[in-house]
Amino acid sequence: MRRNEVLREPVKHVKIGGALTVDQLVRQFKNSGSFGAGRLATACDIYERMLRDRKCTVFLALAGAVVPAGLRTLIADMLRENLLDVVVTTGANMVHDTIEALGGHHYKGHWNVDDYMLYKNHTYRIYDVFVPEEDFIKLDLKLVEMYDEIAAEYNGGSLSSKDFARELGKRLDDPHSILRAAYEAKAPIFIPAVRDSEFGYAYYLHAFRRHFKNALVVDAFKDVPEIIGICKKSSRNGMIVIGGGVPRNTIQSAALATKSGIDYAVVITMDRPEPGGLSGSTLEETVSWGKLKGQADKTMIIGDATMVFPIMAASAIERLGKDFKRTPRQKTEELKPGGSK
Amino acid sequence: MKKSANNEKFCGNCTSHNAYNYPDQVFCTRRFLKNKNPIVQTLSCCEEYYPSAQECHCISDAKEKKK
Repeated sequence: MRRNEVLREPVKHVKIGGALTVDQLVRQFKNSGSFGAGRLATACDIYERMLRDRKCTVFLALAGAVVPAGLRTLIADMLRENLLDVVVTTGANMVHDTIEALGGHHYKGHWNVDDYMLYKNHTYRIYDVFVPEEDFIKLDLKLVEMYDEIAAEYNGGSLSSKDFARELGKRLDDPHSILRAAYEAKAPIFIPAVRDSEFGYAYYLHAFRRHFKNALVVDAFKDVPEIIGICKKSSRNGMIVIGGGVPRNTIQSAALATKSGIDYAVVITMDRPEPGGLSGSTLEETVSWGKLKGQADKTMIIGDATMVFPIMAASAIERLGKDFKRTPRQKTEELKPGGSK
Repeated sequence: MKKSANNEKFCGNCTSHNAYNYPDQVFCTRRFLKNKNPIVQTLSCCEEYYPSAQECHCISDAKEKKK
């Protein structure tokens, strides 16, 4: 490459000449094209292209406590507006979604507190967010009730985590709930590590009381053909990752299994690649596995998703305009409902 | 580490309690697993009592509210 090819585009400095909309600010970031601002602007462009691509299925991977931190309503609204097609999430995020759906709250707290004082007050801390213990207890009681009901309906048959999420969403009536919004929009939610959350503890309460007979059965392996089936039907796959971990790899592995790979990818993380964990692994590393296409439209933002993701969503919504309607893709009804023996 | 409040036995200093309707009522896991009513008064006590290893404010707050 020659010198004049390298020194092609000068950095344009951010100019705020009065009130700016979110997308106007993002476009200023694009002009600078530098560091985190440049990557955020690229992420907005990629997400816009995913949404305008009529043959793309948009997957969202959720890991990290973004629901306690305030992204719940945004994700629910995006599901209803068909701005997301499939969610793959940690159990914890859906636990916190259910806590609020049942009338519980997350409270603004502080990271620099006496945690033993919190313990003595039956209050849990998620960085600078506090959750009262009784909200978990009320959740457990309600979940046991729901599990009893679902186990009776399935009568020994197993559910995938997608079926499980749908059954929960069906039983919640909070319009701001992600599970409820996904149920209404018929958008699948996968919770591959479902037992690693309060959903698992509630299972113990439910199953113990019936001596582990006729208890709810959630079969994590059932997710595998279901999510691969979604990738198979999709001409192109787009992936937005918040955090990473199991949810990110669930999407990537499904794309790999179909040999189709991912076409668009935005990863928002604070993790580093050196320890070899997936949450910090670069998208180039993902290319080496064949999970992401070599020529994929991609960027990785090292930043806090509680700031980055709402900006990305707001910018895309503003660009698409009020009249933009996206065809719903890959709905749960296409996948066989109910359990199997 | 301090022992549970004054050697007095209450549901609110039993190891099986969790906050429920703070500070008046607690949830008892042990009772729940035995299909007994799990919602009990913080200042009551039952045959399932086992002292908690770590102290909380349930008893003092429940007593203060009761005054």
